[in-house]
Amino acid sequence: MSKFSRREFLKLTSALSGMFALSGLIQNVSLLRTAQNPSRPNILIFVFDAMSALNLSVYGYERNTTPNLERFAERATVFNAHYSAGSFTVPGTASLLTGLYPWTHRAINDAGLVARSLTDRNIFRLVGEQYNRLAFAQNLWPNYFFGQFQKDIDRILPSGSFSQVDYTFGEKFNKDLLTTQRVFDDFFFSQGTPPKSLVFSLFERISLERTLAHTSQGGYPNGLPQNHQYPLYFRLPNVMDGLMSVIGNLKPSSLAYFHLYPPHDPYNPSKQFYLKFDDGWNPVEKPIHPLGDHWSSKAMYRFRRAYDEYIATLDNEFGRLLDFLQSSGVFDTSYVVVTSDHGELLERGERGHVSPLLYEAGIRVPLMISYPGQKSRQDVYSPTISVDVAPTLAHLAGNAIPDWREGELLPVFGGQELSDRSIFTLYALKNPAFGKLIRISVVMRKGNYKLMCYRGYYQEGDKFELYDLQNDPEELTDLYSSTFPVAQAMQDELLAKLDAVNAPYKS
Amino acid sequence: MAIFNRLPSLRQIAPVYAIAVIIIYTWTAVWFLWNLPSWLFFMTAGEIALVYAYILATNFLESLLVVCGPILLSFVLPSKWFRDSFVARGSSLVILGLGYAMFLALQFQTRDAYPSILLKVWSVALALGLIALLVFVVGKIPFVRRAVEFIAEQVTVFLFIYVPISIVSLFIVLPRVL
Repeated sequence: MSKFSRREFLKLTSALSGMFALSGLIQNVSLLRTAQNPSRPNILIFVFDAMSALNLSVYGYERNTTPNLERFAERATVFNAHYSAGSFTVPGTASLLTGLYPWTHRAINDAGLVARSLTDRNIFRLVGEQYNRLAFAQNLWPNYFFGQFQKDIDRILPSGSFSQVDYTFGEKFNKDLLTTQRVFDDFFFSQGTPPKSLVFSLFERISLERTLAHTSQGGYPNGLPQNHQYPLYFRLPNVMDGLMSVIGNLKPSSLAYFHLYPPHDPYNPSKQFYLKFDDGWNPVEKPIHPLGDHWSSKAMYRFRRAYDEYIATLDNEFGRLLDFLQSSGVFDTSYVVVTSDHGELLERGERGHVSPLLYEAGIRVPLMISYPGQKSRQDVYSPTISVDVAPTLAHLAGNAIPDWREGELLPVFGGQELSDRSIFTLYALKNPAFGKLIRISVVMRKGNYKLMCYRGYYQEGDKFELYDLQNDPEELTDLYSSTFPVAQAMQDELLAKLDAVNAPYKS
Repeated sequence: MAIFNRLPSLRQIAPVYAIAVIIIYTWTAVWFLWNLPSWLFFMTAGEIALVYAYILATNFLESLLVVCGPILLSFVLPSKWFRDSFVARGSSLVILGLGYAMFLALQFQTRDAYPSILLKVWSVALALGLIALLVFVVGKIPFVRRAVEFIAEQVTVFLFIYVPISIVSLFIVLPRVL
């Protein structure tokens, strides 16, 4: 037997390492090829409003809320530490759509708008005119953004599409969508206050009351799923059937953005899932936060149970959609993105998401992306944020990555895992969009650490909390004083960032 | 023409219309002012002005619709019942009708508390019957009649403000929606 020479050994190891490198590259090359291919793959984006990653079994939640999302994850890239840059619909969705942080796009108030000078920065423009761009949102606040991006969208489906009862009115005037929505849906016909006019508004309200009285609520013990701010009631199977029909008719190279209202409050699970999680289970008890609503633990149990049941209801319908995407071959030709605009906080006495409390449940959201033909699951563990999605879509569409971007390309989709980058989530509801941010809560995630800053909420000045998410994922031990060197460095960086974003404003 | 003879004159319609305008525009203006602080947070002055133009145009159409009520009654009822005291009876009808509308509107405080009982046919019929009775009584009591006519005549001056700006608003709005 001849001796294995040193030269032959070197040749063999270099060949083997080359093969390994090549196998790792194959996937990226195939992604790149799809990105540069003239027949560009479709991009389908499903945004489920107020879906916290922490309540999804696909992300390890105790209750089996999302068996179908788990099924989807088996053929997708799962981002395990994905955050929304805003903690409620307006800033969260605006960041997703623009790739900008809330302090840049300035959509920070209820029904707020993206800064008028920045409306050309949106995912619809980023994928380019070679795409047929379609947008649909059951929540009217994203619809305002569609109104702002109207020239970059080829087709906007009315928010009442596929609904059982639709009393939204502004969209009837598609020519001036932005103003008519504001006038009719947010003023004259807005819910929760007396009618704003004595003829048309009152007539609308009486007519809605009559219609609801004659609409079957069958199959939904808590009432039909609905938009809590606008008169829009729907059945989830109808909505999913509608989406399937739209997806089935998409032309090649389409970008379709679907923003569904569930599992946003009010939690109206179907009969099949109603009381399914009345199992007495409670998560780890957490202390009541002084800025929270002080709900009792009994009430929190009820909210959480209903929220989980509503998620399971939605997941069940998503399962049908999944089967459709599979059987129709959509998965082979499309990027499929599943995410949310923000989470839902059901802890520390706080319920909901319009809150200065930016704990994980309120801001950590699902992000799963399946690329054309993907057959197996991949996991990304480094922190990512919603502002990463827009530049990534530009890249996947084969276009240049915008130099104004504030996010990075997502790992696996052109980017790298950056475990030490700083990402931010901002809550600034009570601030003018045209001025300095003075009453805010903001989170900075860097590595395993998460620094929270409350500004304008306490008389003594800025207040901070620091958590080590690696060792304390429930955020129970505030390390702010005990690990001061880490806190100091992060605090300096965060305060410098706040100074920078406030610098352009005089007051 | 006999048909037009059954209609009140423009001079009679104007005070009644002014009453409708005052009530309808004021109700909405109050809510507009209630919304304004939050809009100032994120809307420019131009955007708010445009919204207000839509509001004025809508109120204008509503007020025209409302004044059609007394005109129609004047057309279908015997002159002695309504047209001969059109300003007093028309104004009181508008005041009471819109007052009832305000009462109903205030019942819709929250989304889930629809005032079903107030919208029952018998309830609405009772309210309308009461309004009809009061309108009849207003025409019969000279002092009340003169008081209503006086008020209606006085508020007519507001038409010189509201009507022109509403028409301008309509011209701003229509090309944007049609």
